[in-house]
Amino acid sequence: MKKNRFAAVLSPICMLLFSFLLAGLLILALGKSPLVAYGALFQGAFGSSTAWINTINKAVPICLAAFAVGICSKVGVFNIGVEGQLLFGALGSALAGIYITGLPAFLHIPLCISAGMLSGALWALIPTVLYIKRDANIIVSNILFNLVAKLVLIALVLGPFRGDNAMVPGTNRIQETAALPILVGGSAKLSSAVLLMLGVAILLYIYLNHTTNGFELRAVGLNHHAASYAGIPSKKYVFFALLAGGMLAGMIGAMEVQGTYLMLYNDFSPGYGFDGIPIALLAQGNPLVSIVGGLLFGGLRSGSQFMQIAVGVDKEIITVIQGLLVICIAAEPIFRRGINLAGRWLDRRIVAWKQ
Amino acid sequence: MEYALRMCAITKHFPRVIANDKVDLTLRKGEILALVGENGAGKSTLMNILYGLHTPDSGEIYIHGKKMNYQTTLGAIEQGVGMVHQHFMLIPRLSIVENVVLGNEPGSALRFHRARAKKEVSPFLEQFKLEVSLDTPVQDLSMGMQQKVEIIKVLYRKANILILDEPTAVLTPQEIDELGVILASLKKQGMSIIIITHKLQEVIDFSDRITVMRRGVHIGTVETAGTDVNEIVGMMVGRNVNLGQYDIKGVPDKDVLLSVKDLSYRAGERFILKDINLEVHKGEILGIAGIDGSGQDELTEIINGTIKPTQGEILFADNNVTHRNPLQRRRSGMGFIPQDRLKHGLVSDFSIEENLTLGFERKREYNRKGFINKKNRKALAKAAIARFDIRTTGEEVLAGTLSGGNQQKVIVAREMGARPRIIVANQPTRGVDIGAIAFIHQTLIGLRNEGGGVLLASLELDELMSLSDRIAVMYKGRLMGTLAGRDATREKLGYMMVGRMNDNVHNGENLQTEKGARHEKE
Repeated sequence: MKKNRFAAVLSPICMLLFSFLLAGLLILALGKSPLVAYGALFQGAFGSSTAWINTINKAVPICLAAFAVGICSKVGVFNIGVEGQLLFGALGSALAGIYITGLPAFLHIPLCISAGMLSGALWALIPTVLYIKRDANIIVSNILFNLVAKLVLIALVLGPFRGDNAMVPGTNRIQETAALPILVGGSAKLSSAVLLMLGVAILLYIYLNHTTNGFELRAVGLNHHAASYAGIPSKKYVFFALLAGGMLAGMIGAMEVQGTYLMLYNDFSPGYGFDGIPIALLAQGNPLVSIVGGLLFGGLRSGSQFMQIAVGVDKEIITVIQGLLVICIAAEPIFRRGINLAGRWLDRRIVAWKQ
Repeated sequence: MEYALRMCAITKHFPRVIANDKVDLTLRKGEILALVGENGAGKSTLMNILYGLHTPDSGEIYIHGKKMNYQTTLGAIEQGVGMVHQHFMLIPRLSIVENVVLGNEPGSALRFHRARAKKEVSPFLEQFKLEVSLDTPVQDLSMGMQQKVEIIKVLYRKANILILDEPTAVLTPQEIDELGVILASLKKQGMSIIIITHKLQEVIDFSDRITVMRRGVHIGTVETAGTDVNEIVGMMVGRNVNLGQYDIKGVPDKDVLLSVKDLSYRAGERFILKDINLEVHKGEILGIAGIDGSGQDELTEIINGTIKPTQGEILFADNNVTHRNPLQRRRSGMGFIPQDRLKHGLVSDFSIEENLTLGFERKREYNRKGFINKKNRKALAKAAIARFDIRTTGEEVLAGTLSGGNQQKVIVAREMGARPRIIVANQPTRGVDIGAIAFIHQTLIGLRNEGGGVLLASLELDELMSLSDRIAVMYKGRLMGTLAGRDATREKLGYMMVGRMNDNVHNGENLQTEKGARHEKE
């Protein structure tokens, strides 16, 4: 039991080291020192309070994406539709933020967030219903819906909702009353989105592990036959979890619009929805563990710019690292086996040494 | 003495368990050796090592006196070792001949020499009295015939050591007798045969010697002629268990507890169940006999509420429950032990504690305003583990890591914990060790003696005959008739299980055995 848990912690660490090592070889091949590059990466991600703020701001959407993937993985569904859902969430939140006027902030902010979450859930609704009622492959339909969402967003943002400033491919700014308060000002601003994200993580954790509903939801995900046999309404839980995933994804869009950009660009997301996938898989849907992964990925994103400027290693190298990590996750049994073998070898050594 | 096979001091570790600990096994040329033991005794591991599926940590294998060091099944097959698995490895759409030669096809890589394949395979068909065309798709054959195809497959590869894993699990009594004849004839041809089994009667009928394993250790090997079932059971479990002798007290009540009326279930055009009428009285165990796939699984699932019948209704304690969901049925006092414990009974990645509440998580003991009452749940789990003798190191152990018998005890503990008025059990002791079987039987009898009802579907006739007050027999989704438990014999049941309804069979009446026996001879 204990050994298994040990391996469960050790294998993600091994995967990370392995990915960094391979990407390091690539940096070496480019004629740069990987140690210097990684040093700069770390410096840019965690080296100063400004760096920390940037990292946290980037980590917020990634963490939320991991939650959105995670809750769906708890019912056994792979949610690859977060990217499309978050685009729609941003749209909903931005429209409510721009066109609703005259509300005080304490009403306007939650209203816009709710609009974002609702839009995300609505975008998730069609693939979900097709999946539950007609058994349509939800991975395929979600991937297609991601593409549609991206194109629809471009059409709307550059079309009917185009802002007054012709130089900017985006909407007008949202009302002051819809903007999230800023916790720490200065050259880098820490948005209060991080508090909302932490709140969601804690609520989600409690829901999954301490409520009867959460227990039933996990039972459905681990063995829906047994759950149905025991009288738990499996399909309702799958439906609920997929829409909850859409809502969490929609919240990402709202956080970006109301906390970071204060308007809606057509191209604001660098693929946060996809960043959430490896994290959720590594954390096995546990929201608190996902935060660690989110900070790491956020750090990679924010540190990579500094690395590019300081050392001249292209920032796309972090995409390589993330890609390698995904491959490692797919090859997880190999890592676990390696760790087990190493552990046994170590056991034997220790026994021999004691004698 | 010439040995076809000697396995010496075979040791195999798996994470956290020693599956085989210095196991010795010998197989004489031309004998049938039964390898018996409870689930998890290490029989399958040992045979998988012999067949090249596992590599032993230490130990040696000698075949015909020659030391072996193959590490793959291909290597084992080359040395003349063949294995028939419990779940057949046949491709349903392919014909008999194609299945037999698959992987060893005569002809070149580009052209399959079908005529030569047929010529080579057809003598086997005669030998096995398989009166079907070589071109018949395997999916059209009965389980007994499929098993013969499996054995032919092994012989075609020129095996002289044959391993059969639980060969009788899927067979009717008549087919089991036939298998005995085949094995005897193979023995005469000089084949050496190992049968893995935990059905003891077969062991006595078929084998020349019996090797018993327990907890990964070789306990002993005895000549079959000089032993009896009780001695072997004693060796298997390490204590004397009296199997098959239960005290059934009292007589069933007249009151009907559960009744199934004109029940039919159709999948597409095909009737899986047709016009089933059944009644379970208070204080009664009603057995359901039938070969695998006769509709027992669907019947129990309909009573559970997981699938909806096409027609007919189910009454429980005078209430029509046909349209109630499984949860409502459980709440009204029905308990269920499903056939496939890992699929329907347990969530294997949940702990024992969590599994003990599955389906009951909303009851007051476990649920406080929507939150799990973890303290109470733990205490109740500890009590259940003690009361139902679940062998584990703690309530937080994952159910999937328990042995089959202990997993089944978790399910029984959960269902009995809700104090049900009826238990609907489908093969509750399948693949479970003898200690757990006895315990589950006692639990069912206990419920019956307290005036509860039990519907017990099982493939094991001995189990049905030793427990049931009445036995209903199913064949192809129909009810063939019902026998009183004390009148039931293997022959009568076996006869009805293959669909030969006798005119004289009605509810509770006897079957005329003389007539049946005559039919069989003809």
